[in-house]
Amino acid sequence: MRFRLLAMFVVLASTAAADAQNAPKKQPTIINPPPTAQDYADLAKLPDWSGVWNPKITDQDQQARDNPPPWNEKVAKEVEKMWAEEKAGRPKLIFYGCFPEAHPSWMLVTHNAMEILFTPGRVTMLGESDGNRLRRIYTDGRPHPETPDPSFHGHSIGHWEGDTLVVDTVDILPQAPLAISEAVGVPNDGDMHVTERIYLAEKDILHVELEITAPNILTKAWKTTRIFFRQRARKFDIVEGVCQLGDYREAKDENGHHVFVPVEKTEWGNLVAPK
Amino acid sequence: MTNHFKPIGMLAVAATVAVGIASVSAHHSTTMFDHSITMTINGEVVELRWVNPHVSLSVNGVVKERAEDGPAVWVMEMTSPGNLVRAGGWRRDAVKAGEKVEVLFSPLRDAERKGGALKKLTVLATGEVLTANIREQERPGLE
Repeated sequence: MRFRLLAMFVVLASTAAADAQNAPKKQPTIINPPPTAQDYADLAKLPDWSGVWNPKITDQDQQARDNPPPWNEKVAKEVEKMWAEEKAGRPKLIFYGCFPEAHPSWMLVTHNAMEILFTPGRVTMLGESDGNRLRRIYTDGRPHPETPDPSFHGHSIGHWEGDTLVVDTVDILPQAPLAISEAVGVPNDGDMHVTERIYLAEKDILHVELEITAPNILTKAWKTTRIFFRQRARKFDIVEGVCQLGDYREAKDENGHHVFVPVEKTEWGNLVAPK
Repeated sequence: MTNHFKPIGMLAVAATVAVGIASVSAHHSTTMFDHSITMTINGEVVELRWVNPHVSLSVNGVVKERAEDGPAVWVMEMTSPGNLVRAGGWRRDAVKAGEKVEVLFSPLRDAERKGGALKKLTVLATGEVLTANIREQERPGLE
């Protein structure tokens, strides 16, 4: 009996030891250090990207014609159909659900303004016209996470080479489209990788040079540039934009409170016009 | 608090037919409008919906090219408020309900529906002209 108890104890003890050996090591908690006065002073050395940036839409139109992505054979056929459908007045709804245009399509096809903020360890882009356009580019030297956490804008890390911000983005949701117009684009289907070089080409002209690798929809890496021009007049300051507000109208509820109620929309998001 | 919207006329509400499609706002192409055609409507503003992602304006009036239809409410779509301020000179309070306007627009390809993409609006009382082409004013330093 004593021998059995001893044997059981030995088995239990060795199992516990094995479990302890196999248990995942607790990762040390990484703390983002509070910025120092020097960190803030260093921001003043960065180029001036303040103000409001408007996309050059006529150039987007031209790029879509002259520098399309190297779609694979299957996607190329789908894209051909999308162009035809758009021309016929039945454009595909690439962006739906008030989801963000996501990365890199926000840079590629947006029609709306954006602003770029510098804070210690970070560059943040905020877009107008819906509150979902937000990119956080970490410049504090961190790597991409070991465990991906896919998102619409992906995980972006960047560093400065002189006055050029070099950005590397991974972990973009596979549903995020690679779009070249509001009616032509396909979901990237995963494993997309985007690098950018962002810089002032002229005093008030910002260039975003992109290199996009998307092995599930492209045959090779695609290089393209998008152009933004700057406004400083206060009346062009970015305003709040809630995409879904377009689906609603003001009303009063049974208690006389101000509420929003849905309106009818078409499959493309237009208000339904009367007959 | 300023209203975002002005109450839509009962005429417009009655005229809207349920299409039965899930309503979703979206940034979308505008080829559901025939941009090769320009029509003109003279009438009164019913409502300006100053919302993202697309502002819309309802006008109750007579379309010159469809004069035989008589007065009717047409719904004009435009771009977002921010874009309209920059590219077209708009403000949230640029037009008021009841204001007499002339609007040039490209009609919906679906000729059964009274809708269009607004190209130019003239406020008849003041002569002020507002446009809606997002590809205009593509230069920095606008004032």
